[in-house]
Amino acid sequence: MRKSSLFFYSLITELMVLSLLLLYGAIDKNTQQESLQEKAMLVETLQLTDLCLFTEARYTRHLSQADLNTAFQDHPVSLEHFPSGSFTQPSFTGMGSHEQLD
Amino acid sequence: MIELHGIRKVFNAGNPSEFTAINGANLQIAENQITVLKGPSGSGKTTLLSIVGCMSRPTAGRVHLNGREITSLPERFLTDIRRKTFGFIFQQPNLIKGISVLENVMLPAYPLGEKRSQLRIKALAGLDELNIGNKSHSNVEWLSGGEAQRASIVRALINNPSIIIADEPTAHLDSKLSYRFMEIIEKFKAEGKTVIITSHDPLVYDAAIVDRVITMRDGQIEV
Amino acid sequence: MNSWIEKQRYIIDFTLSSLLRRKVKNIGLLVLYTLIVFILASMMFFTHSIKREAALILKGAPEVVVQKIVAGRHDLMPIEYLDTIKKIRGVATAAPRLWGYYYDNLVKANYTLLVPPTQTTTTNISRTTVVENEPNSQSVDLTKPLYEVNGTKLESGTIIIGNGVARLRQIAKGDYMPFLSFDGNVMNLKVVDTLSAQSELVSSDLLLITEEDFRKLFGIDKQFVTDMTVVVNNPSEMPTVAAKIKKRLPQARPIIRDEILRTYESIFNWRGGMMIVIFSAAVLAFVIFAWDKASGLSAGERREIGILKAVGWETSDVIQMKFWEGAIISLTAFFSGVILAYIHVFFMGSPVFEPALKGWSALYPNFSLTPFVNIEQLTTLFFLTVLPYTVATIVPIWRAATIDPDSAMRFTGD
Repeated sequence: MRKSSLFFYSLITELMVLSLLLLYGAIDKNTQQESLQEKAMLVETLQLTDLCLFTEARYTRHLSQADLNTAFQDHPVSLEHFPSGSFTQPSFTGMGSHEQLD
Repeated sequence: MIELHGIRKVFNAGNPSEFTAINGANLQIAENQITVLKGPSGSGKTTLLSIVGCMSRPTAGRVHLNGREITSLPERFLTDIRRKTFGFIFQQPNLIKGISVLENVMLPAYPLGEKRSQLRIKALAGLDELNIGNKSHSNVEWLSGGEAQRASIVRALINNPSIIIADEPTAHLDSKLSYRFMEIIEKFKAEGKTVIITSHDPLVYDAAIVDRVITMRDGQIEV
Repeated sequence: MNSWIEKQRYIIDFTLSSLLRRKVKNIGLLVLYTLIVFILASMMFFTHSIKREAALILKGAPEVVVQKIVAGRHDLMPIEYLDTIKKIRGVATAAPRLWGYYYDNLVKANYTLLVPPTQTTTTNISRTTVVENEPNSQSVDLTKPLYEVNGTKLESGTIIIGNGVARLRQIAKGDYMPFLSFDGNVMNLKVVDTLSAQSELVSSDLLLITEEDFRKLFGIDKQFVTDMTVVVNNPSEMPTVAAKIKKRLPQARPIIRDEILRTYESIFNWRGGMMIVIFSAAVLAFVIFAWDKASGLSAGERREIGILKAVGWETSDVIQMKFWEGAIISLTAFFSGVILAYIHVFFMGSPVFEPALKGWSALYPNFSLTPFVNIEQLTTLFFLTVLPYTVATIVPIWRAATIDPDSAMRFTGD
């Protein structure tokens, strides 16, 4: 086969695989509504405030509830004792409104 | 018919290394003839040949191809004329390594966008004619010197040019292969093509089929 | 037009042939490039999905949470605060919450212990909490007794555990779990149910416990609670009410739902430590590629371009060849990288990121992300990778214009 044909076929195949994946994602998103709803329901009934992403420390387990004095809130680029802290950032918005209230 | 009027070619103009390769050459080359440019190395033959073949522009002077002034044409038109009118055979085969003989031979036709099936047939026929059809799919590295040169001849002919330009074609060939080359040249003439060769090989300029020998020395044509 | 297409195909044929000549170098380049796109796209898919998911899930979070802060730390809240808060104008209702952490020495994990809110509170909340786009959010489930999950009642001496806890401790319904209480006594609590695996993203480390057991375990007096949730009459007044609470109770720290949502909106922000490291590493590698490309043509390439020009290629043909060279590599790398990233994030649960996301936590939630894909982000990634690479490949070609076609004639050595 011609090399250019090979290139176009592989490009088309990749495009098709990607669009199939995106299509599947769109369908799957609908089927996952149920699971999303279950989670949303749990949040509402148990009055939860945070995602359970990092369980290593209290300020990473409940990011939005962390007080303003924990290590996490020190400085946006401060090195973290806990690795997950380096993935997240302090909620400046929360700090902002808190300052206003003081 | 190719006419050269007062051609001058200066390299590295304005630099201390400036030198004049051709100094006022006037020449007429007739159609369907074999013309040989003879002369010692450094006499300006190759430079003159590259000007005739629209590969480079003269510093001064004009070139007429079939009555048309081509020296002042922009690159695009010049390239177009070059690939349709001229076929080049270089001193070295100048094949591109790593790709097959067939691909090498078809290269000059790529920018023209000819249909591939037709181009392939043409290329294979050309290779067969010079007895290297069986090598069409091997890489050029595997060719012998003679085979490589024949491949480069097929490449020169792929766009069916009316003028063949060969620069020292026998420089790297033994006598047997050189005779073989001259036979191929003879065939070109029989097909009605114009052939221009530079050479300082007596086997070339003393050949019976050569119509005209032009001697060059120090950038000038000796009369 | 046909001949134009045919010409492009010829040029692609030739470009591929010449790329394949330097197989190791070019395949290595392709693999590295794919890897960069893969990491960037994985990061994009992961962060975008988690943000979208957080936004949808946390819509039902408490409108206002009021904490008490003493010397910069959370402190237990006196129950009297509840009346103070309830009296504030704009407050519909308020409820105390009891929750805390328990460190399990056996598996070195932190659990979140939570006393489920009483039924009345939630009914009140569901009255005013209108969650958009989720018509079922006020379904019959909310009217069930709250100490009940899947028909199992939560009674004194029993707990309901999150799926992550069950997995980590390898316990299930019917098993007993020992807890060390504040005064050194061991409390054996019976697991009566586990929360669904589907909900792990919010419930993995949860332990639902009765108020009575909670107070017994931690030794918290009846007059104290952990914090309070507030429902306001008019959701748009949340900040105003929060300000009023702060004024009335200076030690209090109100957190409104918007702040919770915004926390998760900005989670995994590109400025986050690890993100910037990954990102800059990728960018750096890319710059090296581009520089390598742009730094010019090798002697071999110059010679080849000379031959091509000698046999009748124009400068523009050579530029097109270089364009395809860049386009072939970057398009292939882009699509391969994005496809691999999609599979990585949505089918395999991001194993590449897992060690970093896990950090020191012993309990890591097992969740599959809903595939939210931001086409805009994909397009941005496309333009940030394919375009500059292709351009970087073409740029050095201006040098090609200086290569005369007759250079092939002057070339004599081999």
